[in-house]
Amino acid sequence: MIIDPQLGSFFTAGALIIIGLFAALFIDNLIKKVIGLLFIADGVNLFIVTMGYKAGGIVYVFLPGMTVDWFAQNASYPLPFALVLTSIVIGASTLAVMLSLIIILYKKHGSIKASKILGEKGNQTQSKTPGDKI
Amino acid sequence: MNPLIPLMVIIPIACALILNLFHTKDRTVKIIAIIIAIILPSIPLFTNYGYHYFGGYAPLIENPALAQGLPVSITASALNVFHPAITYYFGSAQQIFMVVLGIIAFLAILTSLSETRKPSGVYAFLMFMGVASMSAIILTDDIFNLYVFFEIIAVTQVGIVVASKVKGNMETALKYMIIGSIASPLLLLGVALLLGVTGNVNITDIIYSIKTGLVNPQSPVLLMACGLIIFGWLYAAGLPPFHTIKSEIYSRALPHGAALLQAFSVFTLVAIGLIIIKIFAFFPFANVFIVGISVIAMILSITMALMQTDFKRIIGFLAVGELGYIGIGLGLGTAASITAGLFQAINEAIITAFLFIGFGTILYKTRESDIRKLGGIMVEMPKVTLLVLLSGLAMAGVPPLNAFQSKLMLIQSSLSAGVPELGIIMILLSIVTFMTFMKAFYAIYMRPKPSTLKIIDSNIPKATIFSLVVFLILCIILGLFPQIATSYLQPLANSLI
Repeated sequence: MIIDPQLGSFFTAGALIIIGLFAALFIDNLIKKVIGLLFIADGVNLFIVTMGYKAGGIVYVFLPGMTVDWFAQNASYPLPFALVLTSIVIGASTLAVMLSLIIILYKKHGSIKASKILGEKGNQTQSKTPGDKI
Repeated sequence: MNPLIPLMVIIPIACALILNLFHTKDRTVKIIAIIIAIILPSIPLFTNYGYHYFGGYAPLIENPALAQGLPVSITASALNVFHPAITYYFGSAQQIFMVVLGIIAFLAILTSLSETRKPSGVYAFLMFMGVASMSAIILTDDIFNLYVFFEIIAVTQVGIVVASKVKGNMETALKYMIIGSIASPLLLLGVALLLGVTGNVNITDIIYSIKTGLVNPQSPVLLMACGLIIFGWLYAAGLPPFHTIKSEIYSRALPHGAALLQAFSVFTLVAIGLIIIKIFAFFPFANVFIVGISVIAMILSITMALMQTDFKRIIGFLAVGELGYIGIGLGLGTAASITAGLFQAINEAIITAFLFIGFGTILYKTRESDIRKLGGIMVEMPKVTLLVLLSGLAMAGVPPLNAFQSKLMLIQSSLSAGVPELGIIMILLSIVTFMTFMKAFYAIYMRPKPSTLKIIDSNIPKATIFSLVVFLILCIILGLFPQIATSYLQPLANSLI
């Protein structure tokens, strides 16, 4: 049985989001948690890209010889692709910040277990003078 | 087209980048930061109301030169009125929000530069980036653009907390980021669903599509988009279930940083809340949900504030609780209630910043934030004590200070809307807020000084006193002449009905 590519893509996006949510909420390892968060973001990105897909459509580049009407009817919708590009960049930045924080916390606690680091005890271990130069 | 509108975003971003470049040069950082911080509240005062289209692409209906030669299938359809560019709108409500944000940013930056021995370029960079993102969220008419700045402001908030080097800040920052990394994609999914249904990300165009019947308003996809956007809104504003992490974020930042962070939360709550009301007003449950979650936020946060022993957590919870008043104003959905809610937002941003910077002086003098270990501070700094007392009275809604006016307006509008129960809840919670504040105030200032408490022998910087006096003046002016603010907010409230 051949599944419609758009439908298949929507299902994949949904699966990614659900797996990601599960990992983010229930896995104790911070790195795996972050991978789960990436799954959610990628699932949403895939969902948006899929919305822009048009079966049998053309790339949204207006070439000489094309009429506006013909182009409007046949080109895939470009806006989702532009949005996803921005979303990927933002995702990469937040990922970098999260991983940096995990590295710092790993050096401090010697563990990457969320229950140890983000629990009540984890919050009480650092003590520095407020307002020191960074 | 108004060229000054984008400058409200571009100037703080450019300043942030320059400060990051010169982060090792303390004096340069100080001079540039103060100059730009003074400019920030001034730009909106000189900017005319109107739209700014990035790239200059106004809708075809306003752009006959571009429309020429296009087929009738485009010019005779809804595409003629759609906005092809990222659009920023600057009206009277945006003007007053931008001015208040600018003043809070100026005073927070001034205080941070004066209280820190060696000013940090990185910290100032983060503050300016936050202000730039917040300005964009206030001005934008594009829901995807809002999402982009929503993400930037989340990273900026984490950055401010990390840069504060307060006990437990890294853990809280990571926790906030993890929760944010769930909430943000879900908000984006909501935006994507709106795009899928309406083919648009411009808020005006989305509303046009729904109102003119281009899109079926009863579509379940719209309902799902509404739910996802509300989820993102709860996270950004710090409403339940995110009230605990939000107050924790405030308590792990330095007081001037927290003053700015709470202003971000207040204005984000208003900006996204207004979008929800504009787009999803036809869902009867949307307004009920906003009111319901606001009441829960007030009850939970103010009750939790009563149980705290760290004064930063107390203010953090009180700040989140006060957000509920804004939500009630927006959720009641009448012109009077929305005006009152927006006025309350302005007041709350000012008062909470006032409280954070006021209580921050204790941290400056003692390095201690646990109220059980504090006492006798009134003897050490009587003038600042008076200012802090007035800030607390302002938050509780004591006349003639500003929150009295906005809370009175909210109670009146709840009565006119036929929901007097909300008025009673608001009055009771104002009393509890006052009790909570007085409990902390007594413990810190009026109780005899504990023998273990060490007070640092340095005067409170004049810039901090100046900031507190400016906040007090604003509270008194808006308390005596509320029409200064409400006259700017009414046009927006009327347009929503």
